Amino acid sequence: MILILLVGSIAPGQARAWDSHSAYIIKEQRWEMGVFQPFRYGLSESLEYSVHPVLFFVMPNISFKRSQADLGTFKTATRYSMIYPTPLLNMLSKDNIGGLIDPNITMPPMLGLSGSYLMSKDIFGINTTSKIGIDIGLALGELDTRSNIDLPLVYHRLEVFHNKWGVHAGVDLTKEITRRVKLFMDIDMRLLPDPDKDRGGQEYSMHSGDYSIEHKMLLVWSRSPRFRVLVGYKLVTGDYPYGRDTRLLPYLPMMEKWVPLIEFQWAK
Amino acid sequence: MRYYFTLLSFLLIGGCEPFVTEFSDSATPLRFEASNIDAGSSAYQGGGVKVLTWNMRFGIGRFPFFGDSCGEGVIADEETVANTMEAIAETLNVIGADIVFLQEVDLESKRTGYWNQIQYLLNNTYLNYGVYASTWEADFIPSDGLGRVNTGNAILSRYELGPAERIQLRLRTDQSDLVQYFYLRRNILKAEIPELKVGQKQFFAVNIHATAFATDDTKQRHVDKYVETLGQIHSDGNMFVSGGDLNAVPPGAVTDYCQNDMCDGEDYHTDGAEHFHKEGSYFENFAGEPDILAPLYEAYQPAIREGLINLPEHFTHAPTTSMVDANTIRRHDRKIDYLFTNMEWEDQSGFTHQECWELSDHMPVSATAQLPTGN
Repeated sequence: MILILLVGSIAPGQARAWDSHSAYIIKEQRWEMGVFQPFRYGLSESLEYSVHPVLFFVMPNISFKRSQADLGTFKTATRYSMIYPTPLLNMLSKDNIGGLIDPNITMPPMLGLSGSYLMSKDIFGINTTSKIGIDIGLALGELDTRSNIDLPLVYHRLEVFHNKWGVHAGVDLTKEITRRVKLFMDIDMRLLPDPDKDRGGQEYSMHSGDYSIEHKMLLVWSRSPRFRVLVGYKLVTGDYPYGRDTRLLPYLPMMEKWVPLIEFQWAK
Repeated sequence: MRYYFTLLSFLLIGGCEPFVTEFSDSATPLRFEASNIDAGSSAYQGGGVKVLTWNMRFGIGRFPFFGDSCGEGVIADEETVANTMEAIAETLNVIGADIVFLQEVDLESKRTGYWNQIQYLLNNTYLNYGVYASTWEADFIPSDGLGRVNTGNAILSRYELGPAERIQLRLRTDQSDLVQYFYLRRNILKAEIPELKVGQKQFFAVNIHATAFATDDTKQRHVDKYVETLGQIHSDGNMFVSGGDLNAVPPGAVTDYCQNDMCDGEDYHTDGAEHFHKEGSYFENFAGEPDILAPLYEAYQPAIREGLINLPEHFTHAPTTSMVDANTIRRHDRKIDYLFTNMEWEDQSGFTHQECWELSDHMPVSATAQLPTGN
């Protein structure tokens, strides 16, 4: 799950093509996908959708991005996402190895909705995208307070359902180094306003982590408009119920070492 | 830009902390202080020094935790933990020990709602200072929904604690590498208490939680290390009070508790059973195990005299399988928690607090040590 969140979130690139994080819409009838990245398809010149095909069977999900009127010299777009994590979470609520949630807990039907506003512009040769948005977590039943997963990347996304809502914002930068090589860097923040207040470790508190900051840097090598390879790292720092924590990803626990993030992506 | 790379370097290095914490043979424990320390409350006023040991089962009382009982619970609910922690603090205040040895204290573990139980106890009792040595510290246990775990041994004291040491005990050898990686790393926690120094004699408090479930000779190694640690203090001419959960029965005790601990559906003591004995319930896994504690009884003063150790009123372990039959409850069935000193205990001060049955599956043991004159 953490691997999919980690690698699935990488989709940087030049304007228009390979550019899922920006306000640019993918070209009509073009598709892009990666080992972990969602499948993305241009429905029209102003609308695209993306879906994670592998995860879809255990966590139905879909996202639409629609271009909006330019704001001054900025290209703008809105993105709406929907996710139904209940089947996956109930699979993770199990005994023994692989159990990430207390097996005594059954997750209720949950629907995650997310809306973002994106603004993109080339500034001094750097493709820059700013975004801000809101996340809504709907639980259609009693959500057990003990049903968190205290892992980086996962905790603050799941916590939206406990907190009912959250906000996110971030900046993506892409700089072309050579014709085939680009450097991508981003920083994203997730906030959970008014969560269970930090009780200083003096009381039972499952939900006191109220922010996370995620940063990644990737070197992108494009073999052609149809194939590219991304290599880099992701750094996550944030507040958790046990305090602040920072983790460089991907990280191999038993070997106790970081390994580079590698992703292959195809398009047509 | 330089500041950016400096900050990034620190974050990247910090982001590579081990997922599971392993410890060197000797490490420095964490230190804690009560939020308010009354002036004079940490000064020795003369008289005996009351000592208590208690495996507090991370403040979940009789919650049916899957790891040490026949239950299936994993993450304890808020009401259970809050009520138990409040009662533990109240019990410590009533007993009034000057030095407290705790085992299975949770420090920001998911299973107990991320409480810092050490700080809570210091802030809600008359105890002022604490040191802590983790026996199990992992960012995330990917099994049964456990998540983050940090649990271990603590020494809480009315008096200020001096230099302290976490002494690593040998790991089990009867586990796979994967299980061992995520498993407990037991230790002895030793702290000096300068306030109780008598002349040139230093005063040490030593806490241990030995292996419970090993079927190899790990328990022997743990007791050997414990005897060695106490022996070093003693041979240096210093004083100690010590105790803990040794997970070993006293000499002369029954050694097979498989029937007592058996859960529904288990088939120990039958020919077809995968293991004839239940881990942690059988105390003759290797030659000499029944008398494993004899060296401690021979060399030092036990809080509960040797002639009394196998009496039911001094049993300290209270398994969850308490119902003998529909009408008979057997609350306590063996002694595995101990206090020793190389000084003298006040006569008949040793007491097993069996009234704490609701608060843990182990009962506290307390006694009052007599310091040599001259302090």
